[in-house]
Amino acid sequence: MNQPLYMPIPAIIEQITDETPDIKTFRIRPEEPMPFKAGQFVELALPGIGEAPFTPSSSPKISDHMEITIMRTGRVTDRLHMMGEGEELGVRGPMGRAYPIDDFHGREILIVGGGCGVGPLRSLLLALVDDLDLYSRVIVRYGAKTPDSIVFRDAQMHGWGQRGALDVMLTVDQKAPGWDGHVGVITEILTEDYLDCHADDGIAVMCGPPIMMKYGTDMLLQRGYRPENIYLSMERNMSCGIGQCGHCRLGRYYICKDGPVFSYDEIRNNPRLWDD
Amino acid sequence: MKWTIRDTHGLDDVLIALSKGREVYALEKAKNGSFRLSNATNWQTGRHTLGPYRQTEPLKALFFPAREFIGRWKDKAAREPLPERIVFGVKNCDLSSLAIFDHVFLGGVAKDPYYAEAREKTILVSTDCSDHLDVCFCPAVGEQPFAESGFDINIAQTPGGCIIEDGSARGAKLLNSVEQMLTEAESPLLEALRQQRDKHYGELAAFSEAHGLKPGTDLRAAVENSFESELWSDFAKDCVECGACNFICCTCHCFLLADGLDKDGTPARTKLWDACLYNGFSVTAGGGTPRPFRAERLRNRFDKKFIFFPQVLGRYACDGCGRCTEACIAKIDIRDVLRRAVGESTALHAHTGDH
Repeated sequence: MNQPLYMPIPAIIEQITDETPDIKTFRIRPEEPMPFKAGQFVELALPGIGEAPFTPSSSPKISDHMEITIMRTGRVTDRLHMMGEGEELGVRGPMGRAYPIDDFHGREILIVGGGCGVGPLRSLLLALVDDLDLYSRVIVRYGAKTPDSIVFRDAQMHGWGQRGALDVMLTVDQKAPGWDGHVGVITEILTEDYLDCHADDGIAVMCGPPIMMKYGTDMLLQRGYRPENIYLSMERNMSCGIGQCGHCRLGRYYICKDGPVFSYDEIRNNPRLWDD
Repeated sequence: MKWTIRDTHGLDDVLIALSKGREVYALEKAKNGSFRLSNATNWQTGRHTLGPYRQTEPLKALFFPAREFIGRWKDKAAREPLPERIVFGVKNCDLSSLAIFDHVFLGGVAKDPYYAEAREKTILVSTDCSDHLDVCFCPAVGEQPFAESGFDINIAQTPGGCIIEDGSARGAKLLNSVEQMLTEAESPLLEALRQQRDKHYGELAAFSEAHGLKPGTDLRAAVENSFESELWSDFAKDCVECGACNFICCTCHCFLLADGLDKDGTPARTKLWDACLYNGFSVTAGGGTPRPFRAERLRNRFDKKFIFFPQVLGRYACDGCGRCTEACIAKIDIRDVLRRAVGESTALHAHTGDH
């Protein structure tokens, strides 16, 4: 018997979209539907080679396939980026704790994303936009290094800005020809000049590189967001995905089973919180 | 129920009867005087023993093997079922450690079916320690050199005879099957055992205290309060991060899922013991790690054992078996690390007036 906890099920790569020079979105169809909630992650396995954790970027309302937005940054992702449509890989999951979106009803939600971290946030947004009436307002603040590195540039992100209850703003770190949007780091567009928000009872959800999460969290606290209302997607070396193998421990938690979504309040006392 | 053996029979007769139809693991004395777990088809009088103290290798290996085959890509064939097994001479440190593994592999979000099968098919026969090793310190972590729970059958030897006790329904059933060799233990024998256990506990507690670890010391507070201490980098100067302390530890449960190719070229996955002392243990894609320094990895091991497990399970993940001390090629003694943590924690509190 294949030990079912640790063995992936086969999945086909149906479509690959180039997002930026080093980020691609893979649409995969597992052999069996794999329903997930926004914020949960899966382990993608390249048989015989290795496995790595990723959070889907597609709508959690679709369970027969999922999209996963992947930056080329290591052994497994290098191989993934060499794969083509129609090729096969393995998937295990879904794993971990999702965004508690039922608790978000009636409240203002600020979504802060950086670089490839916008993947999980896209999944959350897709879950939210279908029921925008349930939330008082949804705000998106997204930062990328350059206009070229903006993920989902052709997709819904821009269209969302047109809808009344949505307030979307993008920034890039470095100026580039043809870019007429804001230039500056993400924390700039979280200041009062660019963000009108109800921080005292608002929800903030953030995902991005550790350095962005660190300074982003500081800024949100400064703006008056409560530690228990700031949700962060943490990442460590999640391997087994079910709290057994020990690799992704963060203080008293395993990120794979107790997270990857945590409120800042839950994890703020950990040393080296932002290193991964 | 507490039994003793009738005059007409010896302990070996009972052990042979208990082992019938089961694969046997029992202690066997090695040339260097230590004991190892020996595997046989039956109890072998003269070769096998219940042993005076724990064997060298941790009991966990019978339930959480160092290398366990997990499966082949798209292979639906069933794994061969494990045989029924019986382990003789389990000491309380090892027995107690299984609570950690039960928590990890049975008590979490998903049960590990291989671990569950190994537990179900293994009868554990524990026995009181009659001596201790130089590295033993179980009283300092709240344990004692005899088992009070967690066993199927416990055998305590006293000069006046054995006391055989069942600790589970299946242990009771097994003892009932050899009932003709047993008779109920009388209170003088039970009293003799109580005194023997008290005496041995007292000796071991004094031995532990002589190494600076008094039973009842709050080791969690000691590690928490010395988190920023220099002690971790001092000990890390000698550590060569070989991982021996992790592998030999009776409670370390971390593992790696290793992907590779089977003999015929089919992708396959194996579960291997992993070590948090290794630099690569927590490295993520792109090379980041929350513990880049060896001192942090050494501290992490103590954090996991003396802070994390008290938080999630209400107990230390250390049973005082001293195997890490024996295995360390840099001669780092876990008692020295803990003693220094206790000392610095106490000094800190005295300094700040925080009790």
